[in-house]
Amino acid sequence: MPHLVLDPHLVLDKVSIHYDGQAAPAVELVSIDVAKGDFVVLVGRSGCGKTSLLNVAAGLVAPARGRASINGKPITAPGSDRAVVFQNDALFPWLTARENVAFALRLRGVRPAERAHRADELLALVKLTDAGDKRIWELSGGMRQRVGLARALAAEPEFLLLDEPLGALDALTRERMQTTLLDLWTASEVGVLMVTHGIEEALVLATRILVLAPGPGRVVRTFEPGFSRRYASGEAIRTIKADPAFAVARGELTDAIFEGEAA
Amino acid sequence: MTVTSYTERAGHKIDETDGLSVPWSRPSPKRKGVSARAVSAVTILVVLALWALSARLQLVSPVFLPSPIAGWNKFITVARDGFVDATLLQHAVASLWRVFAALVAALAIGVPVGLAIGISTIGRGIFDPLLEFLRPIPPLAYLPLVIIWFGIGEPSKILVITISMLAPVALSTASGVRGVSQERINAARSLGATQQQVVRHVILPSALPSILTGLRIALGAGWSTLVAAELVAATRGLGFMIQSAAQFLVTDVVVMGILVIAAIAFVLEFTIRRIERVLVPWAGRE
Repeated sequence: MPHLVLDPHLVLDKVSIHYDGQAAPAVELVSIDVAKGDFVVLVGRSGCGKTSLLNVAAGLVAPARGRASINGKPITAPGSDRAVVFQNDALFPWLTARENVAFALRLRGVRPAERAHRADELLALVKLTDAGDKRIWELSGGMRQRVGLARALAAEPEFLLLDEPLGALDALTRERMQTTLLDLWTASEVGVLMVTHGIEEALVLATRILVLAPGPGRVVRTFEPGFSRRYASGEAIRTIKADPAFAVARGELTDAIFEGEAA
Repeated sequence: MTVTSYTERAGHKIDETDGLSVPWSRPSPKRKGVSARAVSAVTILVVLALWALSARLQLVSPVFLPSPIAGWNKFITVARDGFVDATLLQHAVASLWRVFAALVAALAIGVPVGLAIGISTIGRGIFDPLLEFLRPIPPLAYLPLVIIWFGIGEPSKILVITISMLAPVALSTASGVRGVSQERINAARSLGATQQQVVRHVILPSALPSILTGLRIALGAGWSTLVAAELVAATRGLGFMIQSAAQFLVTDVVVMGILVIAAIAFVLEFTIRRIERVLVPWAGRE
């Protein structure tokens, strides 16, 4: 029964994922509820089905059991209400950075001048003001991910699905991109569902962390760290990371992720 | 000449590594100041010199091998006065027109066919066997049938060239389509692209480098088929010119025609490489 929702909600309800030719399900009975303004992060060891769950939300993978819905409507295909940013940026090399950002607008038939203007606004938002005319191969890894983010935001999604978007970046760029992500999230008020391997990254960004364990993939712990809210209300990222509470939370999260691994 | 027996050879011991260390497979260290291009230039000059020398010393009768000078002079006279009722330029234009008309037809048919093969299982089921059937047949083999069906006019010649270009265009397009990264397609779909928009905005541009490679191969194939196509009652064209010259044993025109065909093929290849660099500058940089 589709329950009535007033706020936008991205919901995975008791979802199981079963890939063809595999005996065991990849994911079993996982429920995730992302509301507008949430920043939900999935962490867990390899093989726990984080990316599979994200793909279900994206509409790229159909669940074997359970329901995926957005604002009460079942998810059956990808849609621009849930723009995805991939680990390998998946940008289009035949387009400039600006044209990449404007891609979703072009699909909708927005006039060239208007979409260029909007793309420039979004490039400024991700701090790439002067890179509009650059070709994709002229950009660094971090810049490419910024273009990828701007491109996703151009679709004006209600939810952003981030599949390890910072996974391929070096440590310093990664750290800078975390604040960019937080800034975008605060400014746009989208709901975010993100997959990551980074423990610190999860703590910094998430309003809610779901820890998954493999065999089959399932949620074993839930954390509500609250550091990203502190950033949103003006606290500096370095102060937050230096807070003893941050170290404690990191320890707890690490323990939760590796719990039962010895078995 | 006696055949060397195996017992004799056995005396020369061959161990396993010998097979790998043949002189021509060993990557020789690059010598300073010698570029492949310079060596190529010297090679061409040596061949020309040998050719001129053998003609000069009359080692071979001019009927069989005219001198380079005679070839060059023939180039000038045919360019100015023509041969069999058309100047060299008119022959060349006639040939180029046929090849380019065929190229347009081959692209118009081959690219959609390649897309169908690359995108849909049904498309692959339909077109793959047809192309695999067509691909290995030498153009001269189906030429008579094409003449029976379409006569000896211009369409027959263009059709034969088109058929020879079809497989490279379609198969390169298909391989380009199959090489499109799934992530790129997923990204476009999640940005709201419909199936047609994915084909138009993602698959086609992604496959463009492959399509251009196919075009280059096709142009080579078409240019080779040209001479065969022009054997069929043409009144103009480089292939026709060579053919008629051969019938009158005007060997210098034959040789000159061959060199002109080679030169045009070289220019075409060079031009397409240029076009590739402008059109798909991202190829190989991803």
